[in-house]
Amino acid sequence: MSLADETPSGTLTPQPTAGSERQSPGSRPDASLRPLEPSAGGPDERVPGAFGRLLRSELRLVLGRRRNVILLSGLAAVPLLLALVLFLTRSSQSAGEGPGFVGRVTENGLFLVVAAIFVCLPFLLPLTIAIASGDAIAGEASAGTLRYLLVVPVPRTRLLVVKALAALAFAGSAVLAIAIVGLVAGAGFFGLHDVVLLSGDTVSLGAGALRIAGVVVYVALSMTGLVAVGLFFSTLTEVPVAAMAATVITAIVSGVLDALPALHAIHPWLLTHHWLDFAELLRIQPDWRTLASGLGVQAAWIVIFSTLAWARFTSADVSS
Amino acid sequence: MTPAATAVGDEAEAGSEDTGPLAVRSDGLTKRFRSGQVAVDGLGLRVPRGAVYGFIGPNGSGKTTTIRMLLGLVQPTGGRSWLLDESMPRASSRVLTRVGALVEGPAFHPYLSGRANLARLDAVDATADPRTRTRRSGEALERVGLSAAADKKYRQYSLGMKQRLGLAAALLRPRDLLVLDEPTNGLDPQGTREVRNLVRELAAGGTTVLVSSHLLAEIEQVCSHVGIMSRGRLVLQGDRSVLAARGDARVAVVTTPSCVATAAEVLRGLGLGSPDVEGVRLVAPLGEVPPERVSAALVRGGVDLVGFEVRRSNLEQVFVELTGEGFDVAR
Amino acid sequence: MGDSARMSSKARWAVPAGAAVAVVGLFAGPPLLASAGSSGLPAITPQELVAAVASHQSQALSGTVAYTARLGLPSLPLGSASDSADPTNLLSGTTTMRVWTDGQERSRVSLIGQTSEYSVVADGPQAWTYSSAKNAVVHFTLDAAAAKRFQAEHGKTTSTPSVAPSMPTPGQLADQSLAQVQKFSTVTVEGQSKVAGRDAYELVVTPQGGGTLVSRVVVAVDSQTKTPLSVQVWSTTNTKDPALEVGFTSVRFAMPSSAVLTFSPPKGASVQQKVVGLPAGHPMAPSAPSATGGLPHGATVHGTGWATVVERSVVPEHGRLQGHAPTTVPAPSGAASSGPGMLGQLGGSDGSTPGMGGDQAALLNELTTKVPQGRLLSSALISVLITNDGHVLAGAVPAATLQALA
Repeated sequence: MSLADETPSGTLTPQPTAGSERQSPGSRPDASLRPLEPSAGGPDERVPGAFGRLLRSELRLVLGRRRNVILLSGLAAVPLLLALVLFLTRSSQSAGEGPGFVGRVTENGLFLVVAAIFVCLPFLLPLTIAIASGDAIAGEASAGTLRYLLVVPVPRTRLLVVKALAALAFAGSAVLAIAIVGLVAGAGFFGLHDVVLLSGDTVSLGAGALRIAGVVVYVALSMTGLVAVGLFFSTLTEVPVAAMAATVITAIVSGVLDALPALHAIHPWLLTHHWLDFAELLRIQPDWRTLASGLGVQAAWIVIFSTLAWARFTSADVSS
Repeated sequence: MTPAATAVGDEAEAGSEDTGPLAVRSDGLTKRFRSGQVAVDGLGLRVPRGAVYGFIGPNGSGKTTTIRMLLGLVQPTGGRSWLLDESMPRASSRVLTRVGALVEGPAFHPYLSGRANLARLDAVDATADPRTRTRRSGEALERVGLSAAADKKYRQYSLGMKQRLGLAAALLRPRDLLVLDEPTNGLDPQGTREVRNLVRELAAGGTTVLVSSHLLAEIEQVCSHVGIMSRGRLVLQGDRSVLAARGDARVAVVTTPSCVATAAEVLRGLGLGSPDVEGVRLVAPLGEVPPERVSAALVRGGVDLVGFEVRRSNLEQVFVELTGEGFDVAR
Repeated sequence: MGDSARMSSKARWAVPAGAAVAVVGLFAGPPLLASAGSSGLPAITPQELVAAVASHQSQALSGTVAYTARLGLPSLPLGSASDSADPTNLLSGTTTMRVWTDGQERSRVSLIGQTSEYSVVADGPQAWTYSSAKNAVVHFTLDAAAAKRFQAEHGKTTSTPSVAPSMPTPGQLADQSLAQVQKFSTVTVEGQSKVAGRDAYELVVTPQGGGTLVSRVVVAVDSQTKTPLSVQVWSTTNTKDPALEVGFTSVRFAMPSSAVLTFSPPKGASVQQKVVGLPAGHPMAPSAPSATGGLPHGATVHGTGWATVVERSVVPEHGRLQGHAPTTVPAPSGAASSGPGMLGQLGGSDGSTPGMGGDQAALLNELTTKVPQGRLLSSALISVLITNDGHVLAGAVPAATLQALA
């Protein structure tokens, strides 16, 4: 404003001819005229490995973010805490008791992995995953970085895929963090022994460890549906907390509905209904169809919610 | 008054004005929000290649929505647009690599450093060469004067530093078109001057620059073309000569009370139309008459010339005239 | 252009819609197809079918069984027992079981809890139960006399000797309802169905003479192996759903691996030893007496057939408190070891009743109501009355019948 007032009449044009001069030579100016270096690789050429670079960048962002590291550390603390409590109370009256697999830990440290997963499964694990997946798109939208990603340009579908993969990787890391700390703490506090199955039969340490590895994989895969739900909510809003809350609530509501006998008919379809089916791997003859149907339900949630997320994200206006 | 100039947005007029290649073009670009509000109404932008196009309008006049539509962030509800002769948003993945953009202020990850933020943006660019990333981001930071603060966390940046980082991101790679939405927001006068110089420098290198602002002064000095928006419509568009043509120059004569009648007669005699008389002061539109002829005629006619002034309206006056509102009026 | 872009963005929503339809189709489709009636099975008379079922025992199989009880009992308070596998689960709701048998004298039945399991392993003259929730083993062995008899009769009969408490598998239920009550019933073959993906005949057993809570029993019999695949027991009080429903959801006719049919107590588990005898009168019969098996000492029988009521007096040393009378009750419906059977066994303190340990008094109080004659339990299939003077009456009859007898 002030500058405009100072400007005397007729001196509005510092370089009035620049525009008209440059207009004529053609659309692409000579590279030598550019103030910046002539780049290696023209702007239109894709440099091979683009998807890998995008994914690595996203993973670094998600797994390197301090909030997420704290979340993972919090989950990893659960088996440690559990081990400590069980170790200190192992000679008391209540030793050997506890829900799920908690009562077995003092006999065999390997069960600390399963017990810690069992303890985290109802709330802590879904919460962690909801935070990561609900943040995926909404976080970028609220920070405003989404528009800059899109004008880089990153095609929306590709961005969504990478966001989903990073959220899945985070979910996997969360389960793995519990498992690894559980294994180390369990071995340290209680030692590793042959595994007594739910059926009362005993299998060797190697076979038992393999089954428990299977439990970890199954639980990690069981989280994928929730990741898809979180991703969808994340495309709906620019408020990450809203997406996270909606995702956690979905998991909780699913758990509540699963506990109502009157809704028996819809139970097999619920997101959380098959989560505890990991126990199947600790029976004498795991029923693979039970495990497969659990994963099938997750796949169904993934298909529906990832296509919803895609439809929403690729058609929505980015106005944040 | 040239009625044609006010009616920009009409296809025929806009098309006839620029026949050279266009860096940005839109036909009837319209955005109607779900609420029913029309944010942008039938916009016909014509940004010639190599131009520095000042995209001016009060806050809320639809500039940012237009820029978002041009960049494929927001879907138009009507009309179409082209960037560098490629249809948007269809060609966005091809054409946007040649476009640097600053949209509605800078936005970066607060917990990353400026340098890491640039590295992130470069890493997600499928056409950027990772081998030259460090050098290019270093150069971009240098250009915007951010080298010293490059490794500070973004959240510790001042508003001006954030703005500079946004510019650095737009300059990570050589661009054929820069779209800068309010690039001087939050900058001090020194920073504003630097941005202007940067725009000049880039334009000299052949880059087309579309720069939006609600502060006319910042743009006025650098742009070769202007487009003025008001209430979602483009009310004026063209190169600077359009403004000059609208330069509604007037002559003001201050004389003694006895000479007022004579002076009025002389002005009428020159064909300036009837002057407004306020005491000893006469103001008349200058039209095509050279001011020196007026002063000479007045002296010849025996008018005591106490004062003589030629007033030419600047862009801001044009703007106020066209939009009928001040610069800080939001809708 | 703008319009076509909007069209395409609308069209995108067709993708999730299509995906949802595909998913629903994929998941809901197969069961719908499977439940469609089968046809083309050769005709068979009820008598032939019943005879065939009686000899099905030689079938080795493994499979999953769904068990549902709708007995109309008061709902039990949610406690540890409700989420861990325990035979009390059989009183109401749906329970999943896994069944393995060699068709002879070795078998394993597991009640599947979400993260627990209750297993009953029968291995010739010995048997085990294992509760993962309690990490407790009960080891059943025969007393000297019974062991001798077992050795002598070993391999000479096709009926499965059950040393351990039996579990309500379709085979168990079908055997008991078909073999014992045929003369009090009309038996018909009423059509064909598909159970666990296999063609089956539907055998309907309708009690004659009335006076019972059982309106009919429907047994689906595998057309090839003549193995009972499912049993529904319908009550006269509920015509919409069967009061008791047991059926395979999947079944494989093959010899299970020997590891499944053996058991040894895990390290760290508590082991309780039980020595039991085989009841007299019926070789190799279940230790829990059935309607035609040897009645326990001191029992009286009122009525016949489905409407049989058994009355026992309390054995003094067990009658610690009223309403805690040890009793085992015949299961006229044939559901000796299922929910109704268990109701009949309520208060049995001999320890052979699975999972009925110290909580049984509390459980009994939960399930019974006070009536002038004593405490009454009434369900869709069975009624039990524990009288004030220490008698227990039980039968598949309305509660009023018991009250009249008391």
